[in-house]
Amino acid sequence: MKQMNEAQLNELEQDLNAIRDEVLADLGERDADYIRRVVRLHRSLEVAGRVMMPFGFIPPVFVAATAALGISKIIENMEIGHNVMHGQYDWMNDPSLHSQTYEWDTACDSDSWRLTHNYEHHTYTNIIGKDRDYGYALLRLSDDEKWRPAHSLQFINYVLLSVFFQWGVALHELEFERIRRGEVSLKEKLPFLKGFVRKGGRQAFKDYVFFPLVTFPVAPIVLAGNVGANLIRNLWSSTVIFCGHFTQDAETFTEEECEGESKGHWYLRQLTGSSNFSGNRFVHLLSGHLSYQMEHHVFPDLPAHRYPEISEKVQAVCKKHGIHYNTGSFARQYGTVLKRILSYSLPDRLREKWTAQPQTA
Amino acid sequence: MLSRIERTSALQWLGKQLFNREDPAAFFDPLLERINPMWVQQYTPARVERVEDETADTKTFVLKPSKRWAGFQAGQHVNICIDIDGIRRNRTFSLSSAPAQWHSNGTVTLTIKRLPGGLVTNWMHDNLQPGATIGLGEAFGEFLIPEAGEPLLYIAGGSGITPVLSQLETLAAANYEAPVTLLYFVRTQADIIAAQKLYELRQNWTSLTLNIIATNESETPRFLKEADLDEVSGIESRRCYLCGPKGLMDLATDLLSQRGITEDRMHSTFFAAPQAALDTDALGGEVRFSNSDINVSSEGDAPLLDIAEAAKLSPRYGCRMGICHQCSCKKTSGTVVNRLTGKSSGPGEENIQLCVSVPQGPVTVEL
Repeated sequence: MKQMNEAQLNELEQDLNAIRDEVLADLGERDADYIRRVVRLHRSLEVAGRVMMPFGFIPPVFVAATAALGISKIIENMEIGHNVMHGQYDWMNDPSLHSQTYEWDTACDSDSWRLTHNYEHHTYTNIIGKDRDYGYALLRLSDDEKWRPAHSLQFINYVLLSVFFQWGVALHELEFERIRRGEVSLKEKLPFLKGFVRKGGRQAFKDYVFFPLVTFPVAPIVLAGNVGANLIRNLWSSTVIFCGHFTQDAETFTEEECEGESKGHWYLRQLTGSSNFSGNRFVHLLSGHLSYQMEHHVFPDLPAHRYPEISEKVQAVCKKHGIHYNTGSFARQYGTVLKRILSYSLPDRLREKWTAQPQTA
Repeated sequence: MLSRIERTSALQWLGKQLFNREDPAAFFDPLLERINPMWVQQYTPARVERVEDETADTKTFVLKPSKRWAGFQAGQHVNICIDIDGIRRNRTFSLSSAPAQWHSNGTVTLTIKRLPGGLVTNWMHDNLQPGATIGLGEAFGEFLIPEAGEPLLYIAGGSGITPVLSQLETLAAANYEAPVTLLYFVRTQADIIAAQKLYELRQNWTSLTLNIIATNESETPRFLKEADLDEVSGIESRRCYLCGPKGLMDLATDLLSQRGITEDRMHSTFFAAPQAALDTDALGGEVRFSNSDINVSSEGDAPLLDIAEAAKLSPRYGCRMGICHQCSCKKTSGTVVNRLTGKSSGPGEENIQLCVSVPQGPVTVEL
């Protein structure tokens, strides 16, 4: 990680605080209108998808219905749910948009998400051993972890995780790897498992039982469409999230270097451990503005649609302090993610040999 | 229609499964609101029918609540919610109309005075137009007219007349026969709220004695005094209703107690605008955790999370540095200073993060 002394870190903290204060002072109707417009778009798409789905025996309608429902789930999860639960709209005092009571349209229980994501991941970002989001205890993504033969097949794990992403996220708090190592007992995880069954069951019931049943004669079509919509959402959100911290230049940290860290150091870690990708407005909306992962990680509770506006200021701060502003096209960033997953599936000697070869892509 | 569906528990359960929320009917609000704002389910919408000027700084808003609103008793108040610059503001006001009016044409009235510096009252005066909708809560409050026909004394000040208007009108309609006296304190004759209505009541209802007293028309302020009460015949046996500024209510309570009127025969109500703390005020203060019914005092820059934990509460928390919002909860009143920004909050209801909020004066938190 880039080394900065205490005075430099203080200055970084002040520079970023200034950006944050400016946005906070300006929050108001524009932000409220924005999120309500997105909520309206989500409701319209979901209604459209659910209404069209039974007519899915007409192929183009099936495609439209599945796409509408899939996009509605993406928007609800990424731009509404994730951001609302970060407290980005708590200031509006609208009970429907409150961080601690919002429940989203995915298998993961919101309380579990608030714990593992908002607290653990955002506080201990990319600290190996403390941020379980780094590789999801499933993938080896840096040489901080020793290579084991099982890692050689991790690309299959990655594909499976992406396909069943909502279930992976929902089971994240189970800490299966720690249970296997005997560090926690299954009994301690009972309260979590209850929440998992309640919420996961609710989601499965809705998409795979209720809506197919009420449209009985065309149940298989509705079931297939709902599975398709969930799959679209799973693949897209997994991809966006992997681009956030596992690109080529996103750094990792050790527990020692972060012990008792200052706010300035926390800021530095958020900037160097995250990565952006570029795209048009629609891409940013569908990614819940996690395409501005760096801005999101330094200001997780500012309304996300503000990230594009403050991005230039954050870039200027990065430039001033000599911090790499990690961005690139979606294809380029995602390419480096895939390469990271593949290369760390190899033993270190092979990996070094492979990565030392001149790049052809 | 959806609210009716919610009443059956099976459908309520199904709604929760399908829409992932405790109030499933409100799921469609963003769409319904576009079609007709009166269809919103999250709160009870009320349409502004008319706005009438009472005095230079007081207006009466005639509202028509949606059909599911449950009604009220004379003297009760309601919470209203209004979005101002993206922020939902909740305030409590007394209803100034009689329940009979709501039964006959479905309207209720709020009579609201501009508060100097008040965010909501000034916004309502300047921006709330006929046709707009606001949110209305169910009526509540124990400031109610007696069941038996006892003699009554009302002492009201300024905009404190509003619940009294509702009660007087109700009593007059029932042709209440026991004597009723109203001592109404206003700054000047120009500040009499609902003057016309009060004079009409006096004319048509012989039980009412009306005494309007201007406090600020002479050199020295003219407050409530013994002589005013001497004029009220049989005052010892009257049930008393007080509504107005704190100074007036304290004075009236003292004077009435001296005449042997017991507390259970004195009813008072009034909503004063919460006062914001000054920047120079010391940090720390009395903290009330309302859900647990615990009061503690704090000193210095201890954040509410530490204060709550010291009081043996265990609120949910995470990073303890203002990032994760795990400890976000609702402050119902009081001012807090945000440790990260150094800025003071407003005095009213809002969401705060316990780990970075330091009380500045008395604070009440829903915990």
